[in-house]
Amino acid sequence: MNPSFVTAKARGCAACRACSLVSHLPDGQEDGFCPRCGEPICIRRRHSRQTAAALVASAAICYVPANLLPVMRTYSLGGGVEEDTIIGGVMLLYGSGSWFLALVVLVASIMIPLGKLVALGYLLWHSSLHRNASAHEESRLYHVVEVIGRWSMLDVFVASYTVALVQLRPLISIVPGPGILFFAAVVILTMLAVEYLDPRLNWDVTAKGYEHHV
Amino acid sequence: MSEHSNHGLPEATVVRHKRLRLSVVWLIPLLAAVLALGILIERLTAQGPTIKITFSAGEGIEAGKTVLKYRDVTVGQVTAVHFAEDFHKVEVTAKIAKSASGLMVEGTRFWVVAPHISITGISGISTLLSGNFIELSPGTGKQAERSFIGLDQQPRITDQAGRRFILSAPELGSLSIGAPLYFRQLPVGEVESYELAKDGQAVTVTVFVRSPYDAQVHAETRFWNASGVDVSLGEAGINVHTASLLALLAGGVSFDTPSFFMQTPPASDGATFKVHPDRATAMKQPEAYARRYVLYFNDSVRGLSVGAPVTLMGLTVGEVTDIGLSFDETTLAVRPRVFVSFYPELAASKFSGKQRDAVLSNTQQDNERHIRVIRRLVEERGLRARLRSSSLITGQQYVAFEFLPGAPKSHLDWGHEPLELPVARGEIAELESTLASILGKIDRMPLAKIGTEAAGSLEALHKTLGDADVLLKDVDAKTVPQIGVALADVHRALESANATLLGPDAPNQQALHEALEQLSRSARSLRQLTDYLERHPEALLRGKSEEKP
Repeated sequence: MNPSFVTAKARGCAACRACSLVSHLPDGQEDGFCPRCGEPICIRRRHSRQTAAALVASAAICYVPANLLPVMRTYSLGGGVEEDTIIGGVMLLYGSGSWFLALVVLVASIMIPLGKLVALGYLLWHSSLHRNASAHEESRLYHVVEVIGRWSMLDVFVASYTVALVQLRPLISIVPGPGILFFAAVVILTMLAVEYLDPRLNWDVTAKGYEHHV
Repeated sequence: MSEHSNHGLPEATVVRHKRLRLSVVWLIPLLAAVLALGILIERLTAQGPTIKITFSAGEGIEAGKTVLKYRDVTVGQVTAVHFAEDFHKVEVTAKIAKSASGLMVEGTRFWVVAPHISITGISGISTLLSGNFIELSPGTGKQAERSFIGLDQQPRITDQAGRRFILSAPELGSLSIGAPLYFRQLPVGEVESYELAKDGQAVTVTVFVRSPYDAQVHAETRFWNASGVDVSLGEAGINVHTASLLALLAGGVSFDTPSFFMQTPPASDGATFKVHPDRATAMKQPEAYARRYVLYFNDSVRGLSVGAPVTLMGLTVGEVTDIGLSFDETTLAVRPRVFVSFYPELAASKFSGKQRDAVLSNTQQDNERHIRVIRRLVEERGLRARLRSSSLITGQQYVAFEFLPGAPKSHLDWGHEPLELPVARGEIAELESTLASILGKIDRMPLAKIGTEAAGSLEALHKTLGDADVLLKDVDAKTVPQIGVALADVHRALESANATLLGPDAPNQQALHEALEQLSRSARSLRQLTDYLERHPEALLRGKSEEKP
């Protein structure tokens, strides 16, 4: 770790997230507007941890019905209704021998959202501890979660397309179940949480440590 | 200004806002929790009861696919299918919609609906694509029930107005469940079920007659089998009876009430009726109005069947009702015993006016008088029953009452019931006896002797012919050469005669010529004479007249 770097925060400056202009905030001020593009800027995102924590908590709550409620309802001829949950789909795929597909769905739809929740929870917990030992690892984890985040919407897209395409009225029709809404909520909430979690906070710990050292 | 006050960096615009200890963002997890809980509670409360149905076989029942229906509306879904503990039954677990939980009461019946195609129609066609489903019929009980025993068969129609009757048929014929029931060729009901009677002697068929047609079923209504084609070999030849095309293919039962029973009250629900083989039999006069007689024939009754007509002077007046045997221990005589029923109305219908009434009153009311009349007919006029053949080809027989004045006297007991009537030898029997006598005569001919004699004669003939052969050979050897010699002699004699008589220088030639010349002349004059005589026949009497120019 390079001990010689100086944070913008230490100088009372902040970069605009829209136009990247670095401007100085009056002393003691945390928030302001970019003098060039007018976007709000802040030294550190206000309530960053709190908001992210609230969003992660929401996502965690939504994760339960997303997996318990059916994501798709299949109405077939004769009045039969089939409700499919994500876990049910995985088991169906595994049961029919396509273990690879089952693994893909298991990883993409169950493990990754869960992993994101756990990772975010870890990041929040860790940053609140103000320890600097693993700032680099945490930063890497943060970026991984940020990159992966949008791909989880794949399930929602698949469900939407299936619902839109399989509408052979008398024979078979598929309607979305409440589960997919919760699933989408999980994905969106985690993405927002990532967005709200200010990565700069991570380095403040290090900077503090640096200051302390100095 | 202080735009570049600090390190030459631009100064950001400042906004002031109050510091909140708790961010509003915490409303989001609250909202999520409320939403999730709400949906969870809604789903839990919307969930109906889970029931268990035990079937003997899980015909096409699939967990997660098979639905439960009531009046064609889905009310639940099968969630699991597994064996009962002893593997003899299939336990089906089903989730019922909350709205239909009121149907799960005591007495609710469940059965599997599978596609069923018959002549009368196609049912459960939707199950061809969607798979079988479980149909239910709610019970009448009030107490909620969660465990049921499924039926193996679709139960009888329960919510239609009408009445059910029990039919007893000797055999099922082409009847099947759903086979139509006809009243005046109008489909008014159907066969609901059938089973073998407890004693195994008949088939019990349950039929349902829809309202308002059920009012047409009276206590005396007759049912008969309208199934398919009824080809019967009767005394009148081959009879073919067919009902409507549907009945022809699917079978069915028809019913009607004879006109003389129209006044009887409608039959009660569950009344039992007999199924007659055909309309004619069904609509016949009932037995109570018949007089029964017994006949002991001496001939074989082969070809005589129950239902064969009984005729009087060739007109049908009754029918054969039973055929059996009788055995007399003292005489060891085994004779066919034939019961015949005499229908007075049928017989009376052959008479006219007062005679009809007389016959009716005679036969129906006054038993004593009836017997007296019969006795007189038998003793004075020679009334006899005999078997007659209606067709020599089919061999069918019937009972004919005929007056045979020369019949031998019969000794009958007039006090018995049924009354025994005397019989005479049947037509077939007579024919048989005639044939037998012819055969007897042929049999008595000394065929063997004739044969031996013929054989002897033939042998003698053979011997004679052998002798003739020897003789001819002898003639050939001895006589023929001599004939040759004789002929040569004859030839020579003829040659010398020829030379003497016909040679150019034969001495007799000249004389012969002259003789012939003279003969020619005399012939000419004879011709002239005849010519003259032809012209002048009178010359024979008057002599030759003068020649006139």
